[in-house]
Amino acid sequence: METSSQSWVRPLFIGAIQDVTESKLAEAAPRESEREWRRIVDSIPGLVATLTPAGEVEGVNNQVLEYCGRTLEELKQWGTSDTVHPEDRPRVIEVITQSMASGDPYEIEERIRRFDGVYRWFQVRGLPLRDSNGRIVRWYDLLTDIDDRKRAEAQLAGEKRLLEMVASSCPLTDVLTALCRFVEVTSADCHCGVYLIDWSGPRFRNGAVPSLPATFNDPTDGLPVRREIGPCGQAALFRQQVIAIDLETDPLWQESAIRPLALAHGIRSHWSTPIYARDGRVLGTFAIFHREPARPTRVQQDLIAQVTHIASIAIERALSEAALDKLRSELAHVTRVMSLGALTASIAHEVNQPLSGIITNASTCLRMLNADPPNVDGARETARRTIRDGNRASEVIARLRALFSKKEFTLESVDLNEATREVTALSLSDLQRNRVMLQFELADDLPAVRGDRVQLQQVILNLLRNASDAMAGVDDRPRQLRIMTELDAANRVRLTVQDVGVGFDPQNVDKLFAPFYTTKIDSMGIGLSISSSIIERHHGRLWAAPNDGPGATFSFSIPRSSEAVPSPPNRDAVRAPAATDAAP
Amino acid sequence: MTRVRSLVSVVDDDESVRESLPDLLREFGFAARAFSSAEEFLESDCVDQTSCLLLDIVMPGGMSGPDLQRELTLRRQEIPIIFISAHADETVRPRLLERGAVACLFKPFSETDLLGALTTALRG
Repeated sequence: METSSQSWVRPLFIGAIQDVTESKLAEAAPRESEREWRRIVDSIPGLVATLTPAGEVEGVNNQVLEYCGRTLEELKQWGTSDTVHPEDRPRVIEVITQSMASGDPYEIEERIRRFDGVYRWFQVRGLPLRDSNGRIVRWYDLLTDIDDRKRAEAQLAGEKRLLEMVASSCPLTDVLTALCRFVEVTSADCHCGVYLIDWSGPRFRNGAVPSLPATFNDPTDGLPVRREIGPCGQAALFRQQVIAIDLETDPLWQESAIRPLALAHGIRSHWSTPIYARDGRVLGTFAIFHREPARPTRVQQDLIAQVTHIASIAIERALSEAALDKLRSELAHVTRVMSLGALTASIAHEVNQPLSGIITNASTCLRMLNADPPNVDGARETARRTIRDGNRASEVIARLRALFSKKEFTLESVDLNEATREVTALSLSDLQRNRVMLQFELADDLPAVRGDRVQLQQVILNLLRNASDAMAGVDDRPRQLRIMTELDAANRVRLTVQDVGVGFDPQNVDKLFAPFYTTKIDSMGIGLSISSSIIERHHGRLWAAPNDGPGATFSFSIPRSSEAVPSPPNRDAVRAPAATDAAP
Repeated sequence: MTRVRSLVSVVDDDESVRESLPDLLREFGFAARAFSSAEEFLESDCVDQTSCLLLDIVMPGGMSGPDLQRELTLRRQEIPIIFISAHADETVRPRLLERGAVACLFKPFSETDLLGALTTALRG
């Protein structure tokens, strides 16, 4: 090891490592031999370097040499070599240059290359040593390994971002993709994949495998969950982590289905970790692929544990949302079917009118043809009317079928005016029988909304029926029902139903929308709670208020079509800081 | 002597009924007029001429069929009434018949039923 006798003989480095202060450095220590100096410096657990006032490396202790695996001469080239991480070097040079000029101590965080090529984060504290005239003689650098801390910080930040994504209802695919990218950045040189399990197969479904091509991903989607498949199959079935260090040579995996596919894509190792639900079910597997045979380090295992935990939360959340949607649709269907009884009169009426027309016109037609001479023109006219009434009847049936058919939530552009007219047409006879007088105030240029037409009509129907029921006992005034649509002040499309019925106590307004609240004998009381749920799904609001006079007013408002985005917007994918184990 | 055809008046808010029924009635040999509301019928000059009334039960926004029945009774206009209705509500029938209606036909009704009711109405 090369030393310059001059630099090592003069001032002595005294003091506790953690507490090196300028004053202590400035203490002129008794002269010691160079070996004594070296012995002390080398005994310091930290990495120590000295720099000339110009910033050139003058000397380093043993620890630096061992860590870097380089000679002093090589280390002197730190300004241009890869000893300091190329991404950090410009900043380091700038800071040191500034300090050299100002004489102020510096503190930098930088990555320094270890003997095996791996970069680790260090905190470098530089302190000037001055002579009795105050001139800087040299700089002492103390380098502290903070890599573990930096890594933990980055992971924590990444985990926080991922959890935010989960909490904000990001689509599952986005969250899983971000998860994979997080690991790929944090762990470097690997490919990640989340595979979901459909236990009805059971089959694997690709959750997210962002960095592998379709030639790898297409064949894996739909693979059966069997031990012969490979590590993921076994991890899922045996409910434990399965590590295939080398798919190529390990006899265990010779017959596995994944082997040829992996090798064809340059993948040698495949680690699979099960993702558990809270109740212990296996929801899927988290796979890490490497292009070299590899086994997981402690750090990587921690990362895997962290990531599978987040994946578990995200998948369970997505599953419960899907279940909730399904339940909503089913409930909406149930109320529609249950209201079938109440709508029987409407159905009968709607269909009986055209039927009656058909029979009357057909009877007339026959008589006209039997006349002497036959009244062909008249017969022709009655035949035409017959066809027209037949069409009317089938339209009614089609509308009713649409209203009562069970459908998943479908997104389309909906004109609320048209939807309202259709629904009121269907319930017209029912309303008329209850002597309800409809008054329409539909805005002319009402913008469309995006949503499920049938579910929205269900809500309107519910409000109409409630209004009609509320006026059942009203005899001293016309049973007026106003339906209004408008674009309100908040740029949302609003529909209002106003009646002059019994109204409600303002104190009960919250209860109104709760399930199983009803003031009616033959009602289950779920109509408004389902309506409320439907409107919420459309990112809208349903509310009610008693009128100043008799009766109540129910309204809902939904964002107009240009604004409404029924599935939440995607957040940016997670970007973790580049705390890598290897040079990029 | 010219035989004066009996006038049957149809009161129904449904347009296709007003279109189709009078034609059938004429084929039966009656004279026929149609009105879209009870009020329209009362304001017309047909009230005295009407031998039989085919009357819808539910008519929105104004007098219902039973209301017209009551009104005619008050005016001592003894016009036989045949109610016609698209509402399949059996419970109203007894009450209407009690108050003097000749028949209560639910749509769709056959021409046989209609003719039978008309015959009964005009016989009495």
